[in-house]
Amino acid sequence: MTSLESGNAMPATDPALERQLARLIVDTLHLEIEPESISPLDPLFRDGLGLDSIDALEIALAVSQSFGMHLKSDDEQNHQIFANLRSLAAHIAQHRTK
Amino acid sequence: MPALIPDFQPISPLAPPALAPAACLPLVTRALEEVIAWRNGEACTVAGFLKDVRHLAGQLPERPFVINLWTDRYRFLVGFAAALIRGQTSLLTSDRSPHRLAEIAADHEGAYVLDEAEEAAASVLPTLCWPAPGSTPAAMASCAVPMIPAWHPAAIVFTSGSTGRPVGNAKPFAALWQCSRAAAKRFGFDGPLTASLVGTVPGQHMYGFETTILLPLHANCATFAGTAFFPRDVSLALSTVPAPRYLVTTPFQMDKFLAVKEGLAPLAGVISATAPLPAGLAEAAERAWQAPVLEIFGATEVGSIASRRTLDGDVWQAYPGVELQDLGDERVLVEVPYLPSGVELSDRTELLGGGCFRLIGRRTDIVKRAGRRASLAGLSAILRQIEGVRDGLFVAPPELETNPATRLLAFVVAAATDLPAIERELRRRVEPAFLPRQLTLVSALPRNELGKIPRDQLLRLVQSNPAAEA
Repeated sequence: MTSLESGNAMPATDPALERQLARLIVDTLHLEIEPESISPLDPLFRDGLGLDSIDALEIALAVSQSFGMHLKSDDEQNHQIFANLRSLAAHIAQHRTK
Repeated sequence: MPALIPDFQPISPLAPPALAPAACLPLVTRALEEVIAWRNGEACTVAGFLKDVRHLAGQLPERPFVINLWTDRYRFLVGFAAALIRGQTSLLTSDRSPHRLAEIAADHEGAYVLDEAEEAAASVLPTLCWPAPGSTPAAMASCAVPMIPAWHPAAIVFTSGSTGRPVGNAKPFAALWQCSRAAAKRFGFDGPLTASLVGTVPGQHMYGFETTILLPLHANCATFAGTAFFPRDVSLALSTVPAPRYLVTTPFQMDKFLAVKEGLAPLAGVISATAPLPAGLAEAAERAWQAPVLEIFGATEVGSIASRRTLDGDVWQAYPGVELQDLGDERVLVEVPYLPSGVELSDRTELLGGGCFRLIGRRTDIVKRAGRRASLAGLSAILRQIEGVRDGLFVAPPELETNPATRLLAFVVAAATDLPAIERELRRRVEPAFLPRQLTLVSALPRNELGKIPRDQLLRLVQSNPAAEA
């Protein structure tokens, strides 16, 4: 596990959690792709996987059930959290209760 | 639970009055001390709102069009009102991609942007942020309620971009005013208590605009200013506003909110639009939340035109002043007060008289998803224009109307090696809501000698596609 030396309180990346999350997204949205094909830094929305707000809600529910946490949209960093697999995994790592 | 569908007679005080070309209407028809919005747990009164509107109006540049991107509903409302008293027109787009904003600006010379930050997506356009508090210019400091020219195009709302560029629909202030009055009566926002509206749809979308932004100007209700999208947002939002509370949402979100069993503060009602609400879902929502579930029927071109309580049956009651004209063959023309021309409904419609109608189904070419509408023929045309595509077709799977998570299918005749580039280009040109999960490569489309694809062939194509099972 590596830590990004950015000076900020940037959480360490967690490849295992990223893989678990990729699998969750693929299963939740019935994507016709292999979880391994989602690169951790690929954008999830629009230009990347092409997900939309309906998918965001589906992902949020799956995340709340799997990790015992709630995503909120008044979070200033919401766009950053949903930017890619790595950012979403980092947010989950910080807030999960299970 | 009371049935909220009113009697079938047009309510005379709500009939749209004749308005002279120079007529003006008040910006807001509420008492100054009443609450118009709830923001961070604090009440925003009409008096404070008018002060904010004048302050902002004094800061707006002298330009004809404003793209209002503010997501905070109170700020959005202040921006809309300030633009009105400066004689400007608000351009409402829920697609805030830089590409789309540049397109809108190209079509509306002199447009500027209201955004959260100057360096936001719209940075190519002149951008104004929420101003710091300060003194209001003397010219703007009057305490009278501003009067707005009734026929001024208060807003231009864009329909989805499935057939090339989105089309703008101009809304005279009088049309918005009349719709708010009708909805106020229909949903009971004309009583002594100020209702709290928590909206899960953006103010820039026609449905969210009419309900969560415009209603508080003319009906006894206050909008929750923050964002409520995920279930936890909604429960927090409802807990910060006083009763009677109304949730303004969509069938898809309602389904998800019920699924997580998030406890909600007591609701007085739920309002749903953008897609047909299945009766089973309405029943589950009424049972879980002990409140009537009401639906609005409308379209961006005409706005809200009718409502019903879902569990009372499939009959819609048109708003006062809305005229329905039978064009034959289950086609209906809608004329809305103060809109220049009638619009044909995209759904097949049965007229029942007395302003009542029943929707029989969608026309085969029009699909709705995530509150947006697209033409399958238009989407197919976009696909076929992409380099490397020899033939292409968008198809709506049969369950599209019953399951909002269903996606469109798209078939393409092309070299397999070109597929990634074609998918990338399609994502650039088509809104995410209408993108297929993947393009299905086929050797040929089953076109007949006229170039058309017979329905049975189409169904065979869909059934043979594994993506249709998802």
